[in-house]
Amino acid sequence: MPGKTSGERRALDALTATLTSEFETAGFDYISPDILQPADVFLDRSGEDIRSRTFVFTDPEGREQCLRPDLTVPACRFHLSHVADPADEASYCYSGPAFRYQPGQYPHEFHQAGIEWFGADDAEAAEAEVLALTLQALKAAGLKDYTVRLGDLGLFHALLASLDMPERWRRRLHHHFWRPRAFRALLQTLTGSAKRRRTSISPLIDELADADLATATALVEAELDQQGLELVGDREISEIAGRLAEKAADRLESPLAAADSAQIDDYLVIRGALPDAAGEVGALAEEIGGNMIHAAQRLQNRIELFRQKELAVDEFEFVAVFGRSLEYYTGLVFQIEIAGPDGGTRTIAGGGRYDDMMSDIGAGKRVPAVGCAIYTERLQLALEGRS
Amino acid sequence: MSKAPLMMALPSKGRIMEQAQGLFARAGFKVARAGSARGYRGTIDGMSGVEIAFLSSTEIAQALKEGTTDIGVTGEDLLHEAIADADNVLDITLRLGFAPAEVIVAVPKCWLDVATMSDLDEVSAAFYAGHGRRLRVATKYSGLTRRFFAEKGVTGYRIVESLGATEGAPAAGTAEVIVDITTTGSTLEANQLKVLDDGIILKSEAVLACRKSLAGQPRIIDLRDRLESVL
Repeated sequence: MPGKTSGERRALDALTATLTSEFETAGFDYISPDILQPADVFLDRSGEDIRSRTFVFTDPEGREQCLRPDLTVPACRFHLSHVADPADEASYCYSGPAFRYQPGQYPHEFHQAGIEWFGADDAEAAEAEVLALTLQALKAAGLKDYTVRLGDLGLFHALLASLDMPERWRRRLHHHFWRPRAFRALLQTLTGSAKRRRTSISPLIDELADADLATATALVEAELDQQGLELVGDREISEIAGRLAEKAADRLESPLAAADSAQIDDYLVIRGALPDAAGEVGALAEEIGGNMIHAAQRLQNRIELFRQKELAVDEFEFVAVFGRSLEYYTGLVFQIEIAGPDGGTRTIAGGGRYDDMMSDIGAGKRVPAVGCAIYTERLQLALEGRS
Repeated sequence: MSKAPLMMALPSKGRIMEQAQGLFARAGFKVARAGSARGYRGTIDGMSGVEIAFLSSTEIAQALKEGTTDIGVTGEDLLHEAIADADNVLDITLRLGFAPAEVIVAVPKCWLDVATMSDLDEVSAAFYAGHGRRLRVATKYSGLTRRFFAEKGVTGYRIVESLGATEGAPAAGTAEVIVDITTTGSTLEANQLKVLDDGIILKSEAVLACRKSLAGQPRIIDLRDRLESVL
C-alpha cells in the first residue's frame, strides 16, 4: 500500500531511533548523506548493468543523477568531502531511504540504518566491532532469533596468491570469481582439461608463438600498416600487443597443476560452523603455505575477537563462496538472516570490508573501510512476526 | 470483444512503409491516409472493424508494448529493444521477409587482440584499471545491449546514447565499442570496425506482431493467411 499511516511512521521512527541511538552511543557520528547522487559515481564503479536496478534521470542541465541505491557510497562521498585526508579515521552512522528498481517487486523505496568505519588501522578489530555493534542494535530493537553467515574474500585472494601460476591467470580468476560458471570454465581451460576455442584472432596468435612484448608490438604495427588500419578506440598499440603476447604465452605455459586446481575446489566447498570451518581452512593453509597461512591466521584472530565480544561464534556459519554475488567487498562479508515465510531465509542486515571503494570513487588512494546496513522495514516486519 | 475495433499500426515512413503498403496492396487491402497525405489516421479497404494508425517503427513497438495498438508492422529489433520479455507479451504473427538486418557488437579493427565477448570483458577490466574510466558503448539499443552484455558476463562498460551515425563513434572518439544494426556490413567496413565472433545480438526482419491475448482470433488468422499468400 502506498505511503505509511501515522502509526506505521511512528513505529518506523521509534525503531530507527533505537538503532541509531546504539550506534551513536558507540561513538559513530550520525550523518545524513544526500539522497540525490551523481549517477556517474555508481555507473563508473559498477558498470552499466546497475542502470537496470537504479533510478537514473537527467537533471535540467543534462547531467545524470540518481536516487541512491544504498547509503554506503553516499557515506563514502560524504567522508571525502568532509575530511582533509581520505585516510583520516572516521566512523559514521546513518538512517534513511534508498531506492532500487526490481521488476515486479514493490516498494522500490526502503529504509536502511547502518554504520561505516573508514581508516581504522586494526582491520580485524574494526570488523569485530562492526559486527558486534550491528548485533547489539538488532537485539536492542528486540530481535531474538537470527543466524549470522559469513565469508572472507581475502582468503580467496590469498589462496590464489599462494598457488603457482602466472599473475595474469590470478587476475582472470579473480575477475571471474563473481560468476561461478565462467570461473569453472576458466579453471578448466587453465588446467588444460578444456581445449581453448579457436577464434578469428587465433591465426595471429599462432604467428606470435613465443614472441616477447617488443616483437609482438612490431607485429601489431606491421599488421595495422598492412591492413591500413587507423588506431582508434583509445587503446595504445602496447595494450593490444600486450594482450596478444599474453594469449600467445598462455598456449606455451604449463597448465595449472591438477593438485592446485583441486585445492581451489577444496577451498570453495568449505562451509560449516565458523570454528570448524576455520579449522578446515587452517588445515588447507598448512598444505598450501604462502600467504594462505597468514590469511587463515587472520580468520582465527577474528574468531578470538568475536569471542571477546561474547558473540556466539559457534552458531555463526562460514561459507567459502559467500560474497560471490556482492562484487564490492574485498575481505570479510557477513549477513544476518532470519527464517523467511517460505522456509527460506530473509536478510535483515549485511556488511563487510570494502577497501577498494574510496579509491574507485576518487580518493586517490586505498582507504580501509568496513560497514553494515540494516534493512529497517524488514526488521520491523520480523519484530511484528510478519516476516 | 470481437466487436471492438482492431487497432492496427503501420509504418509511416521509410522503405519499411513502402514495403508494408505494397504487401498489403498485393493481398487486396488498400491502405490510405485519412485527410491530408501526411495524416496520422488511415483507412483500410477489405477489412472491417479495423482502425489504422500511421506511426514510426519505433513508436509502433512502443504502442504494442503499452497495448495502445493491437497489431502492427515493425522491425523485430525494435520490438526486442522496447520490450524486455517480448516473447511473453507479443505474438510474432508473420515474418515479412523485408528490412533484414542484424543487431551486432562491433569493435575497432585495430583491436587485433579482441575476437569475442569474453575478450571484450577482459579488455573492459584492463581498460578501467589503466584509464580510470569505463569503456563506452555507443548505441540506440540500450535495452538490447544491457541484456546481451549481462548474459555474456560483460559488466564494466558505459552506454553512450547515440541518435545517428553510431558507427562513426569510435573514429570520433566518443565511444570505443558500438552496438548497431547492419545489413551488408559495408558501413562497418568503411569505419574500420569488425563484428565480434559471438557478437550477433539479433537477426531481425520486418514482422507483423500482435498482442499475445489476441493471437488466434479469426480476423488475425485471416489477415495473416492473406498476407502470407502474397509474400
